[in-house]
Amino acid sequence: MRFDTVIIGGGLAGLTAGICLQQEGRSCAIVSTGQNALHFFSGSFESVEAPTPRMSDLFTQAGIAVHYSPGVRLMPLGTFRPAALSLSDVTLAETPKFARKVLIVNFLGYQDFFTTFLADGLEREGMSCRIATLDLPETGQIMSSPSEMRSVQIARVMDRAWEKAVQEVRILLKDEDTVILPQVFGLNDSSVPERVRQAIPARVIFVGTLPPSVPGIRTQQLLKRRFEVLGGTYLSGDEVLQAHLHDGAVHSIVTRNLGSHYLEADHFILASGGFFSKGLKSNPFQVSEPVFGLDVRQAGDRSAWYDPDFKADQPYLQFGVETDEALHPLLGGRPVRNLYAIGSVLGGTRPELGTGAGLALRSAFAAADGILESPVIPNEA
Amino acid sequence: MNTPDTFDVIILGGGITGAGTQRDCAMRGLRTLLIERSDIATGATGRNHGLLHSGARYAVNDAESAAECIKENMILRQIASHCIEETDGLFITLPEDDLGYQKTFVESCRRAGIDAQVIDPDLARRLEPSVNPDLIGAVRVPDGSVDPFRLCAANMLDAKLHGGQVRLHTEVTGFIREGDAITGVHTVNRQTGEKRDFHAPVVVNACGIWGHRMAGLAGVNVGMFPAKGALLIFAHRVNNLVINRCRKPSNADILVPGDTVCIIGTTSTRIPFEECDSVAVTPEEVDLLITEGAKLAPSLSSTRILRAYAGVRPLVSADDDPSGRNISRGIVCLDHEQRDGLKGFVTITGGKLMTYRLMAEIATDTVCRKLGVDKPCTTAVTPLPGSEEKSYEAVAKRIWESPSMAQKAAAARLGTSAERIRSGNRLDDALVCECEEVSVGEIENAVERLDVSTLTDLRRRTRVGMGTCQGEFCACRAAGLLARAHGCTAQARADLQDFIQERWKGNFPIGWGDTLREAEYTQWVYKHVLGL
Amino acid sequence: MKIQEYTVSKYNFEECMKCTVCTVYCPVLQVNPAYPGPKQAGPDGERLRLKDPYFFNYALKYCMNCKRCEVACPSGVHVADLIQAARIKYSRDVPKLRDRILASTDLMGSLARPFAPVVNGVTGLGITRSVLDATLQIDHRRVFPKYSGRSFEAWLRRRAKEQAAYREQVAYFHGCYVNYNYPALGKDLVKVLNALGVGVQLLDKEQCCGIAYITNGMSDQAAKHARHNLEALRKAVDGKGLKVLTTSSTCTLTLRDEYPNLLGIDNSDVREAVLLATRYIYERLEQGATLHFRPDFRLKVAYHTPCHLERLGWGVFSERLLRMIPGVEFTLLDSACCGIAGTYGFKKENYEASQAIGEALFSQIRDIKPDVVACDCETCKWQIEMSTGFTVRHPISILADALEA
Repeated sequence: MRFDTVIIGGGLAGLTAGICLQQEGRSCAIVSTGQNALHFFSGSFESVEAPTPRMSDLFTQAGIAVHYSPGVRLMPLGTFRPAALSLSDVTLAETPKFARKVLIVNFLGYQDFFTTFLADGLEREGMSCRIATLDLPETGQIMSSPSEMRSVQIARVMDRAWEKAVQEVRILLKDEDTVILPQVFGLNDSSVPERVRQAIPARVIFVGTLPPSVPGIRTQQLLKRRFEVLGGTYLSGDEVLQAHLHDGAVHSIVTRNLGSHYLEADHFILASGGFFSKGLKSNPFQVSEPVFGLDVRQAGDRSAWYDPDFKADQPYLQFGVETDEALHPLLGGRPVRNLYAIGSVLGGTRPELGTGAGLALRSAFAAADGILESPVIPNEA
Repeated sequence: MNTPDTFDVIILGGGITGAGTQRDCAMRGLRTLLIERSDIATGATGRNHGLLHSGARYAVNDAESAAECIKENMILRQIASHCIEETDGLFITLPEDDLGYQKTFVESCRRAGIDAQVIDPDLARRLEPSVNPDLIGAVRVPDGSVDPFRLCAANMLDAKLHGGQVRLHTEVTGFIREGDAITGVHTVNRQTGEKRDFHAPVVVNACGIWGHRMAGLAGVNVGMFPAKGALLIFAHRVNNLVINRCRKPSNADILVPGDTVCIIGTTSTRIPFEECDSVAVTPEEVDLLITEGAKLAPSLSSTRILRAYAGVRPLVSADDDPSGRNISRGIVCLDHEQRDGLKGFVTITGGKLMTYRLMAEIATDTVCRKLGVDKPCTTAVTPLPGSEEKSYEAVAKRIWESPSMAQKAAAARLGTSAERIRSGNRLDDALVCECEEVSVGEIENAVERLDVSTLTDLRRRTRVGMGTCQGEFCACRAAGLLARAHGCTAQARADLQDFIQERWKGNFPIGWGDTLREAEYTQWVYKHVLGL
Repeated sequence: MKIQEYTVSKYNFEECMKCTVCTVYCPVLQVNPAYPGPKQAGPDGERLRLKDPYFFNYALKYCMNCKRCEVACPSGVHVADLIQAARIKYSRDVPKLRDRILASTDLMGSLARPFAPVVNGVTGLGITRSVLDATLQIDHRRVFPKYSGRSFEAWLRRRAKEQAAYREQVAYFHGCYVNYNYPALGKDLVKVLNALGVGVQLLDKEQCCGIAYITNGMSDQAAKHARHNLEALRKAVDGKGLKVLTTSSTCTLTLRDEYPNLLGIDNSDVREAVLLATRYIYERLEQGATLHFRPDFRLKVAYHTPCHLERLGWGVFSERLLRMIPGVEFTLLDSACCGIAGTYGFKKENYEASQAIGEALFSQIRDIKPDVVACDCETCKWQIEMSTGFTVRHPISILADALEA
């Protein structure tokens, strides 16, 4: 099967590149090994200072509501982090003391939302807090399974029963000016967070939970749908096993599911992620890039991979695929001319592109530009 | 003098020896206090294989230890069934080993009273499919596995049920003396900073390798030789029988299945006393453990490793041998009144996890003699709390009729004490730790009954965070429960940090493959998603 | 190999990062709180089961083996395989009569077919369905697939000579459904292949692939079928050098993957030769073959990717074939389980769950209002037709309809 571009990895980086290319009429396939890091997305695009018009368009056209307002956001354990560009249900404030009186609401039996930590964090900033619990029959039913009172299961219920939750919150609300709720609204129906906000007569802040991230999953689904609506081909649950190179360029790739049916393309993008996503593999002796065997920046001896202090910057997180200026990765010291590496497979090799979501977006745009600028090779098929 | 801070005996050290000694003393009617500067089982007790020795390992070189082991092995099966798995073990001979050693080995075992059966290598391969298929000889022995945390907690719980008191996270800063007698200790609580004195006519030093320092504080010398042993925990059980090498004891020649994991060890390296508090596992030790371990069970060379850790054996040099060459692994009980003229001070050390009960009995006999108490020891015939019934299947069925996974797992961990767990409603039944199936009810039970103050304490009593994810998810949930139980959130947050750091300490020495993937994920979750 | 160069475990269960993504995509978990979920039932449970088979949980029977957990898993854990393998290894449940009847799709077919009008009449009757419900706990709201009066095998056998005349040949594993219930699909395939210049042969006595035996706890039966079918496949593949085409995504997954992964039966010598017809046809077209389509063909098609096709990763071939038909207005439905899962939805205790699982898909179909829903799976067809009233056609049948006479 032949495409203009085949993208390895269906996370934020891969989907962004795919959408950009597909928008310009380039046919793309994305090969995705299972679901990706967007499922653990914090909701904030770290290291993005201000969104470019292009970023805004990407989100708007996919139906993803984002907002930009530099400030701080409240983290699930009651701490504050600077943030700027975020999904719209991640509320930002200018300063940590953003309210006078806060009502923190949780669902009965939901252990993945840390009300006491939040209250402690807010009280330290001088706000007064009250913790309340919602006991809805709709969410109570989930608890019959001891392991499944988790974000997504609650969110699934909230997609249809959010009005009942709002009703209860309104009853609980006394003189508080702010209500904090867990991020379990708007899994499949992205309008829910805004409707909840409108229906509660106080400022509403959605705070993160233990993964999976409901806003993250929604973002993934909307981006994927956008890509498919544009005509892109998303191959889920497949894995790239091998690549065929010819004369310094990638000719085709082999996947587990398609076997002898190779995927051919003029351009390839490697957006396979870091260690978790298996874009980088490691054993006691080395870190490697498994599909192409690309050059990987790494510390030699494994004792130099780690800092014994968990909190410190871990050297292994800086490892990644080496590239030239145009993001063509190096193989044996030489760039592969029709291949681009984007997102966290780069690790910290390109600090000017930032980290996390910022790195994914910036490098995806850069790779898409590189491909769009190169002359179109007539498709023989 | 009968103030609340006065006891018949104070036991220093919350390892298995201290806990066992407290239980024995308490069962003989003494008013006891146990003081531990950290948590239970933080020293050598919790940092070994968890092997329920049959004694076979010592049979050739140390007949006395071997005989002690098999005797205690049989006792523990009766009194501590919920801490023990009766797996049996194999001593295998590989082509590079001398098969002639097997004969000496079996004869020595028989002399020590250990039931050692030579079996056909084919049968060994069938009994234990993970065993190195190249083996040329196999002997079956009554080895097993023991959970040292559970054993320690159960001893302490029983001591408390007999009126004993336990003070964890409490450090002894000095001894109270009256003339040539020790009559108590000065302490400071390491969490609250509270200083407090406790009095008793006898103080027992059961501090393992730290007993050296404690004796020094009392003004006497106990010659000890810290020997570090490193071990690796694999992420699931590859074997169901203990596998040993049938040769002179050496590095990494024991693979023990325990609970949901299996453990290979150990190495042996002399270290300075200053390092006892912060032993680290080196890459060389890790490589050696895997390479040698793979000779017992080849699949270890491709099985995910969860964690590396090391303990320090409290080896004691004989009194007449200050050089330390003549090191005994046997039990050493020193009455410092006889030895050094210091009254009211007893050191119990040496020995091993297997013989803790006997050590406790010897120490308690000494204490009783000093106090003029004449009561027989009953610890060998009285089951520990939780071990009143042997089969956890039967226990679970009796309590819950059709038990859930978490209830089955709780019965396997706690034995009959599982009936104390609140259950039957959705809030208590909710899972905190999904890897090890630990419910909210079980955690609350541990907090209420088993002296839990930190997350790491909780891990030792419930296996929360001991599974594959190493606490990634359950640590936060458990921290929430602890914050609620103790009413202190700031403490819980700091505690969470310590817990994650403690896990990382065991992860990075084996940080590659899936462990590194998990580490990256944990970094992401804690730093970027949760904001720790 | 150097130490720890790779780490492996059965069904990759140690690769599980406990990320819980599988639980997001498990259709059963969404509706049945008695099911512990793929993570608990799979990799978490496995560690405990390795300690003691006592930790086997009978609630694993609620898994419908749709494999969406495996498609979603970022770590490559074979979650559903783990669960099904645990059921095979540890379950001591004796299958109910009902489950045995539902599982025996070919036996049912060969018994019912000669009496098709009678059987169809009887199983269609409200009273019969009530009786089935009361006696066998087969839900009365289910309509049994109709049995065809003449089997596909008989139809093709009569055309053997005509088919043999084609220079190129393939074998066809038609499966129970085409043989007993819906020979029209088989005929459509023959039409399309003939148009490509390819003749179709039967295998030497194929049997039911056995998937229903696996999911209903009768793995010994399944293994018998597997061994029989592998012999038949080998005769075609090794003996005659043929590709073996299929039209059922579930049969395909079973023949290719469930035999080795769940039943431990090696099929590596023939696995690559077993292909969905859609893939084969797409590849032929890619290599330059052509099909001539009717210029007046107009059809609004919404395509549903069945779970097992999603796992195979071959939905793209159906999609591309449909898109290349001039006059087809194509919409790709969000990939989601329809809820039937073979015989799962037929069981009375699963009916409500089954319908609730499919609801997202049904409402998307209702919104789009297609002329037909396209889908490669026979049981999805029953479920979607029953639940939405929209007609479901196999992509091959749509292709056949669009061909110039």
